[in-house]
Amino acid sequence: MAVVKLSTAGLTNYAKYSSMLAGNAPFVAGAYDLLETTTLTSSASSVTFSGLGSYSDYAHLQIRMVIRGGSSDNFSYTLNGDTSSIYALHRIRGNGSSVAAYASTSASSAGGYEMPTSGYVSGAFGAIVMDILDFSSTSKNTTVRGLYGHAADGNRVGLVSNLYASTDAITSFTTDGGGGGFGSGCRFSLYGIKGA
Amino acid sequence: MATPTYDLLESVTLATAASSVTFSSIDQSYGDLILQMEAVATSSNTPKVRFNSDSGSNYYSVSMQGLANGNTGSYSSTSDFLTVQLANVKTKPSLFTVQIFDYSATDKHKSALSRCVAVEDDGSLDRVGAVAARWANTSAITSITLDGSNGSWDTGSTFYLYGVAK
Repeated sequence: MAVVKLSTAGLTNYAKYSSMLAGNAPFVAGAYDLLETTTLTSSASSVTFSGLGSYSDYAHLQIRMVIRGGSSDNFSYTLNGDTSSIYALHRIRGNGSSVAAYASTSASSAGGYEMPTSGYVSGAFGAIVMDILDFSSTSKNTTVRGLYGHAADGNRVGLVSNLYASTDAITSFTTDGGGGGFGSGCRFSLYGIKGA
Repeated sequence: MATPTYDLLESVTLATAASSVTFSSIDQSYGDLILQMEAVATSSNTPKVRFNSDSGSNYYSVSMQGLANGNTGSYSSTSDFLTVQLANVKTKPSLFTVQIFDYSATDKHKSALSRCVAVEDDGSLDRVGAVAARWANTSAITSITLDGSNGSWDTGSTFYLYGVAK
């Protein structure tokens, strides 16, 4: 039988609320949010996250990557499509035998990362976690820090910092697989981290 | 629209000493796992992280570290456990954060990155380091076990497992 009328007289132990939340806590967005993910179903020469300006309500960005290159083990990236020679890097890296520090300036891309190539053991991927700090700032040069590594054939583990010597807000991020691209199965996930 | 993520899946705080801690029946809906541990041991203990109870020699690692005495080192190994810490855990707190990528994938070996700090009883051997590791298995990770080598994880040790959406 259809319900045609409902009155409080027919209910027991009911509560009345003046708010639609009905006693529940309001939803509060997290401080660390997934924004976008790209997973390659075939090889690709590069991957780009564009439109980052729309995420300016976040203070920082994090990019988590599970990667395997083509013919090259070099991983680098550019910001805002800028290939002028204004990138610098510092890196400390272990290769299974020794620890070494490295630095470069006046580069046309931000680099210093390494990944397994297509010639390495099948199924092996490397990982990079990269934080782009204060990416919307227009008063500071942008700095990026990262942790990376892979335990596949050529062992690598390292910490990298990159400088983009520009005060432009970051609106796009483009990876470069060192000319060899990236293999199928690689994943690139972009996260936003709230500020104050 | 943004997807909230980085969720606590499970935590363990030891009320009594234990030789092993296991996270089982791990939710498969996330992209990555983050395991965070701050532990003390009843004696010198090497953290032995294993996935799906696999105790075969299927774990590969490369590490780098800097010691309080000024020395540095980098090592690689093949082992029957995942290396996530560069020194034995002793009576002072030792901590590490290990990130496990694409843990539910069935077409990839499992990659992990660890940042770790070890406080030795001899201060000159305090160290900070990082590890990249690989479990040479394409199975989805459904359980993680943290064994010790000699003693037990002592009272107050904390273990947290988080999921990160992808």
